[in-house]
Amino acid sequence: MRLHGEQVSALRQGALASASLLVGMVPWGIVAGVAMVSAGLTQAQAVAMSVLVFAGSAQLAVLPLLIVKAPLWVMLATTLIVNLRYVIYSAVLAPHFGHLSRPWRVLLSYITVDGVFALFAARFRPEDADPHKHWFFLGGSLVMWCGWQVSTWIGVFAGAMIPKEWSLEFASTLGLIALVMPLLFDRAVVWGAVAAGGVALLAAGLPLNLGLLAAIGSGVAVGLAVARFGQTKAERG
Amino acid sequence: MAGEAAFGWALIAGMAVVAFLTRAVFILPGHRLRLPPTAERVLRYAPAAALVAIIVPDLAFAHGVWAVSIDNPRLIGGLAAFAIAAATRSILLTIAGGMLALTLARILAGG
Repeated sequence: MRLHGEQVSALRQGALASASLLVGMVPWGIVAGVAMVSAGLTQAQAVAMSVLVFAGSAQLAVLPLLIVKAPLWVMLATTLIVNLRYVIYSAVLAPHFGHLSRPWRVLLSYITVDGVFALFAARFRPEDADPHKHWFFLGGSLVMWCGWQVSTWIGVFAGAMIPKEWSLEFASTLGLIALVMPLLFDRAVVWGAVAAGGVALLAAGLPLNLGLLAAIGSGVAVGLAVARFGQTKAERG
Repeated sequence: MAGEAAFGWALIAGMAVVAFLTRAVFILPGHRLRLPPTAERVLRYAPAAALVAIIVPDLAFAHGVWAVSIDNPRLIGGLAAFAIAAATRSILLTIAGGMLALTLARILAGG
């Protein structure tokens, strides 16, 4: 396949836009690499998990379960619940990518990550007819994919040398904070997010990340309620 | 030992399938699957709610214990990051400023 100039340009724009996300992802990947090996996976398995699963929060969530030798289905259920946010992303992305060929849809599904999703959702609306927006998504995602693989390799093969007091894993939370700002585009979304944060604190003790789901559900409900009853005429218009 | 290795590979294979299906569930059917308008309105509020719900407990709890206090360096770092993100919209400045605030708070807390 020969790439047109506009495709290359969209690919490059996506790559540049997500390059700054690497600052948050690389430390997180190193931490995940260290954690996978210390939980008992072989180095080959840790590398394979990063390539095949490619979901940092799910990878880290199953490790404590692996250490206590939990049953396989509990670990897969944990993966599903931690990854449920991707179902939401999938539904948001589907109208953008529905016209693409099956190989494209398989590739873009496999390679979706939080950061590039947030950048893409803030930049494109489903009704935008931009024919090259999937190249933007691919460019950003490839940067994140390479960053994740290389940083987990560093953790797997060299992690023992990094001091724990550096709290490198905190950089990923800081990255999420930077990503959430462009998504807070009106009052209803802000109140929904505030409600989600409150419920996440109240429900933090629930097992299997169910608190996360309760928080998302409450956030959506509050957002819908504020949009329906709370907005002034000017905001509605 | 061979059993443990086989379990690890089964876990990786199963997680790979689950992780792919959660991402592909709406993208893969493509045009054949349309979300009802209600679902599209619901999804407008979901991404910000999900990200905030991941962030907030990470700041407010330390090792699984409620830790809303100026002695919690992650809370200080996170609040600084929110302020920087709101003011600058820069991912780099947010992460750098948050890590700096975390480090300063840890030094001031004496550990």
